[in-house]
Amino acid sequence: MSGTAAPDTLEPGPRSIGRSLLLTLPMALWGLLMFSQTLRVPGSAPKVAGLVVFLFMTTLFFLMMRTRRTYRWRRIFFVSVGFLFPVHFIWDLIALRGSMSIPVEQMVGGNTPFCFLAIPMMIVPAALTRTLIFPGSILPTASNPHAVASMVALWLAATLVLGKGWCAYGCFFGGIEEGFAALAKKPRIRRVDPRWRWMPWAVLAATVLLSAALYEAVYCTWLCPFKAVTEFPEVNSVTSAVQFAVFMSLFVGLVIVLPFLTRLRTQCAFFCPFGPFQALSNHLSVFDVRIERSACTDCVTCRRACPTMVLDEKSVEKGRAGMSCMKCGACVDACTKGAVRWHIRGTPLSASSETARLLYLFPAWAFATLFGGSIIANTLTKLLELVL
Amino acid sequence: MPSIGEPLLLGFSSGLACLAACGPILLPWLAAAGAGWGGTTARLAGFLAGRLAGYLGFAVVAWALGLALPLAPRSGIVLAAVVDVALGAMLAFYAVRPVRPVGPCGPMARRTPRGIGPVVLGLLTGLNLCPPFVAAAVRAAQTHSLPAALGFFALFFAGTLVWFLPFLGVGAVRRFTAVPTVARFTAGLVAVYYGGRGIVTLTGVLLHVWHGRT
Amino acid sequence: MQRLTSFLGYTGAVLTSVLMLLMPFVLFGLFTGAVARTGVRVDPVYSGGEPADTLARDGYAIVVNHPVRSRAPLAPPAPFVQMTWTPAAALPASVADTVDVDGDGAADLVARFAVPADTSAPLFVDVVPLGSRVGALTHASRADLSGMIVRVGGRILVRAPLSRR
Repeated sequence: MSGTAAPDTLEPGPRSIGRSLLLTLPMALWGLLMFSQTLRVPGSAPKVAGLVVFLFMTTLFFLMMRTRRTYRWRRIFFVSVGFLFPVHFIWDLIALRGSMSIPVEQMVGGNTPFCFLAIPMMIVPAALTRTLIFPGSILPTASNPHAVASMVALWLAATLVLGKGWCAYGCFFGGIEEGFAALAKKPRIRRVDPRWRWMPWAVLAATVLLSAALYEAVYCTWLCPFKAVTEFPEVNSVTSAVQFAVFMSLFVGLVIVLPFLTRLRTQCAFFCPFGPFQALSNHLSVFDVRIERSACTDCVTCRRACPTMVLDEKSVEKGRAGMSCMKCGACVDACTKGAVRWHIRGTPLSASSETARLLYLFPAWAFATLFGGSIIANTLTKLLELVL
Repeated sequence: MPSIGEPLLLGFSSGLACLAACGPILLPWLAAAGAGWGGTTARLAGFLAGRLAGYLGFAVVAWALGLALPLAPRSGIVLAAVVDVALGAMLAFYAVRPVRPVGPCGPMARRTPRGIGPVVLGLLTGLNLCPPFVAAAVRAAQTHSLPAALGFFALFFAGTLVWFLPFLGVGAVRRFTAVPTVARFTAGLVAVYYGGRGIVTLTGVLLHVWHGRT
Repeated sequence: MQRLTSFLGYTGAVLTSVLMLLMPFVLFGLFTGAVARTGVRVDPVYSGGEPADTLARDGYAIVVNHPVRSRAPLAPPAPFVQMTWTPAAALPASVADTVDVDGDGAADLVARFAVPADTSAPLFVDVVPLGSRVGALTHASRADLSGMIVRVGGRILVRAPLSRR
């Protein structure tokens, strides 16, 4: 394995069923470990849901092994989480308070569920005053299981494992727009000014600075499109009505309409402040995506495939995806020349892309099973309880 | 005559609040310029000069009024709202204006009076009626002496100055070519906040006046 | 050198899987505890601050918290003091209590509110200041974090605005 050896640019065809099954076995055991806990829950709905999700996740992983492709199978999982998470969340809210809006008594009672999107905005005030500018609770309580410490812990652990891969395997919002982007066969809008890619950094800078000045999570109170499918402040004043209008407009525009027109994850690519924040953690991860220049024909297929416009002329020229790459695998799968490759830092570019992919996919899919799989299982349980 | 330490301490202790209040304006504005160490220092100096001018101007006002003629609450709100709108407009201008020409076009760009932007921005942010600032104004007014009031605010300014020094580091990030683009977007977003806040406040005051008449 | 960096790279990749395996069993609990141990608290503007005094009344108590002043440098909400009437079930249909909010022995305000039998019915409070320390509230409900009345669990929370001095 030397730096001058020719890279295995073109991977062989489908893997044999036997080998694919063998590679799937560890993930199947992990899935069993995770979902065997549903056997202890009374009632048949959790057991059925656990079994269905176990089969779902294991089958998708088997298909990743068999086809040597990542993106399309990951998308099925990711879109499922994106569309099922709001069902689960709203269901719980309706059961708890009869409404999606969060009344002020729930806020002062510390019962607002915490979301990872608030993390970047809380850092400066927490460092200065050791207080969290979020109306939740630090540790889980009976009335608020989604406490700050739990979510921060989950995010920290996931960041160590996935880096920016959180946006492709962990985020429970991104699947909604990825679903709408997948609906269109061809993009209606083909040219998007690449400068818009810097907008999330601006949203991050503006919300962090304003949150530090106002001591409120500005993105959550004014800009988060996903308030439209989770919860939002009770509409009882002109201000809260404006907030609600902003949430709905951003959701419809950035999560439904623009993804459909561009086939891009427009909210992630051009707005979400958590993306750039998480991109900083990409330096912690040993996994990245590289372009073998000698095999690249500049056909721009990889650039067209990237759902967040991370790949551009410069990055292809440099031979590496930008720091905002979420390692979804779209570009690697799209490249017919095998020039776009999974890579482990420190290893030569000629090292096997498939080995790097496998070493990344095992922890990434294990996290997906643990976190996203649980979300799917919980939602399925609720839906099955209606039927069974 | 108050001691030298008191206004310095007051300025230093409230400096972090000043920094947090001005940071959303100053940071994107400095970064958007894409200048190096020298340029950033010049801009920051201009900004701080404007801020000092604002402080000293307010010292004169505080002395003259001596708090005997306190500003009516509504007038204070209107003034703050007007300053917000002006800040918003200024940041919006910085967000959309084309990049300053360099090389052969440089002499043309230099026809614009240099330093006026930072000074005006510093003056506007210096007029921010934040609680520590108002507290300092009350103390200055209590001196019943113009030189003492001016001295008090100058020392108050010196106390806050320490907190602005880290902004010099903005010049170091110039090597990232995307920084000015990000900063322009950020300036635009913050402009929307300030402008919106000012307009909403002014609308509220107008509605209040309208309801009072009818 | 290439061999060494490759070795380190693959070791890092394998360690990533080990970290993932440890996540649900070790890492998650470790990190949750670490966050809790930092001593961070929810901003008192939301939580209402820490209790300072408990005033016993006939069958119920009023917990008076320490005054809360927002540390927001820009547009801070008005300072307030939170008082909690508990248990709400023991309250009379109409409450009118005099409260000393700063513990100096002198009453600072009178709080008046009706307690409807229907726990989902909206609450309204009047706060009459007895001095310059507290601001007045007239028929206030839930629109302002610095002046409001809400029912949280089996308690009724009242926040009265304080003067900014």
